[in-house]
Amino acid sequence: MTEEDEAAFDEFLAARSTALLRTAILVCGASESDAEDMVQNALEKVYRHWPRIRHDNPEAYARRVVVNGAISKARRRKVLQEITFAHPPETPVESPDLGLRDVLVAELRKLPARMRAVLVLRYWEDLSEAETAALLGCSVGTVKSQAARGLARVRARMENLQGVSA
Amino acid sequence: MNVEEALKDAMAAQVAGVHASPSLGQAVRRGNRRHIVRFRVAGAAVLTAAVAVGVPVALTARPDTVPAGGSLVGAGAGDQGAAAGSTAASGDAVATPGGVVPDLTGKNAKEVDAILKEAGYTVRITKIVTDQAPAGTVFGQMPQPGTAAPAGAAVTIIIATTAGPTPAPSEGTEDPGMPQDLGDLGDGRTLGGVHVGYLPEGLEWGKWSGKDGFGKRSYTTSWAEPGLEPGMYSVQMIVYRKGAVSRLTKRMQSYAAQGATAIEIGGRKAYLVSVSEGGDRVMDGGTRTIVWTLAPGVGAEVMISPDYAAKIGADAADRELKKIAAGATLDK
Repeated sequence: MTEEDEAAFDEFLAARSTALLRTAILVCGASESDAEDMVQNALEKVYRHWPRIRHDNPEAYARRVVVNGAISKARRRKVLQEITFAHPPETPVESPDLGLRDVLVAELRKLPARMRAVLVLRYWEDLSEAETAALLGCSVGTVKSQAARGLARVRARMENLQGVSA
Repeated sequence: MNVEEALKDAMAAQVAGVHASPSLGQAVRRGNRRHIVRFRVAGAAVLTAAVAVGVPVALTARPDTVPAGGSLVGAGAGDQGAAAGSTAASGDAVATPGGVVPDLTGKNAKEVDAILKEAGYTVRITKIVTDQAPAGTVFGQMPQPGTAAPAGAAVTIIIATTAGPTPAPSEGTEDPGMPQDLGDLGDGRTLGGVHVGYLPEGLEWGKWSGKDGFGKRSYTTSWAEPGLEPGMYSVQMIVYRKGAVSRLTKRMQSYAAQGATAIEIGGRKAYLVSVSEGGDRVMDGGTRTIVWTLAPGVGAEVMISPDYAAKIGADAADRELKKIAAGATLDK
C-alpha cells in the first residue's frame, strides 16, 4: 500500500465512517459499541483490499459488508454475549409519554432484520429500489414487498398513536 | 407528515448524536494484529465472537473519569511493569483522557480483576476451556490493550480454565466478583446455581461460560451440535440472579402486556416467544426463546438458534425448549 493509498483511505474514513456507523446502528438496532465493532470489521476488509477497490466505489462495498453483518447479527445465530439495549435498561420499554420518534424507532426495532434493513436503506440512505436489491442480494420485487409491509406496520403504529393523542 | 418522512425523521433523530471515533483509522489498521489472536483462540474451539470485539468502547472523555483512568495507567506502568502502549508508559507525563486499557494477557485473573475494579471498569468474565494457557490466567481481553476507555466501561477478560471437575461453589462464602464463583465448568451443566437436567440429544457443551454480560449476577453458556463454527450455538442459556433478575422480570411483563400467552413450567409462569436481538418480542423471524422464574430471585432464559430450530422443525424446537425448562432445577 503506497502512502497515497493510505492518505486516500484516511480521507474515505473521514468522509464515510460516521454514516456507516449510523446505518449499522439503525439496521441492527444495537448499541453504539456493537455497531462500532461491525463497522470496524467491515473497514478492516475494505482496508485489506483498498489498493484494488479504492477507485471502484469503496463506499458501496463497505455498506454491503456492514448491512449484511448487521442482518446476520440480528438473527442471533451467534452466541449472545450481552443483550444490547439501545436505551438504558432502566428506561421503560414503552412509557405513554414517549414521543412519536421514539415509538417509531421502537417499532422499527421490532421488525425482522431484513425488513428493517430495507426501510433503513430506502428511507434513511435514500437508495433506490434497484440499489437496495443489489446491496441485499435480492430481487426488486422483494424490496418492494418488504418495504410495503414494513411501512404498513410503522404506519399502523403511527395512526394508532395519533388516534390516541387526538 | 407521511409515514416515510416520519420514519426518516425518527431515524435521523436516533443517530444524530453518533459520530465515528477519530481513532477508527488506527483501530482498523491495528485490526491486522487481532486476526492472529482470533485465529489462535478459534483453534481452541471457543468463542470467536468474544475475541473479535476490539472496539474502543467509548471515546467520550468525561472530566470526572480522568482521575480513575489516569490511575489505571499508573498502576499498569508501576506495578505490572507492562504499560498499555509505549506512549503511555511514562505515566504522569501523559494526560490520558478517560484512561487506557492495559495489557492483561498472561496475568493472574484475580489480580487483573482487582486492577480493573480499582480503575473503575465494569469487569465481565468469560471462561474458556483450553490448554493453550495456564489455568487461571487471562487468555484474551476486550477491548484490546491500548484502547481508550473511560471509567465505567465494560472490560471483558477471557480466563483459561481446565475441563476437570471444579469444586462446587458454596453460595454463602463466595467472594462476589471473583472468577471462581462461576464454578460451573465441570461439565457445563451447572451455571449460576442452576442445574440443567435435560438437553436435546447430540448437543455438546460449548466449553465456555460468561458472567455479568446480562446484568450483575447473570451467567450464560451454550451447547452446540458438533462441527459448528466456533462462536455459534444451538442452545444458549442465561441464568439471572439478584440484580440481573429485574431485567428479565421487566421483559416478562412486557411480553404479557403484548398479549403473549403464559404457559406453565413446574408450576411457574413461563413465556415461549420469538425474540429480537434487543430482547423484544417479534411476530415473525427472531429467536425462539423461553423465559421463566425458577424461584424467587432466580430467572432463566433458554434460546434455540434459528439454524437449529429450522433443522429440527418449529414444533420440535418449542417442545425441546419446554423440556429444557422443565428439567432445570436449583442446584442445592
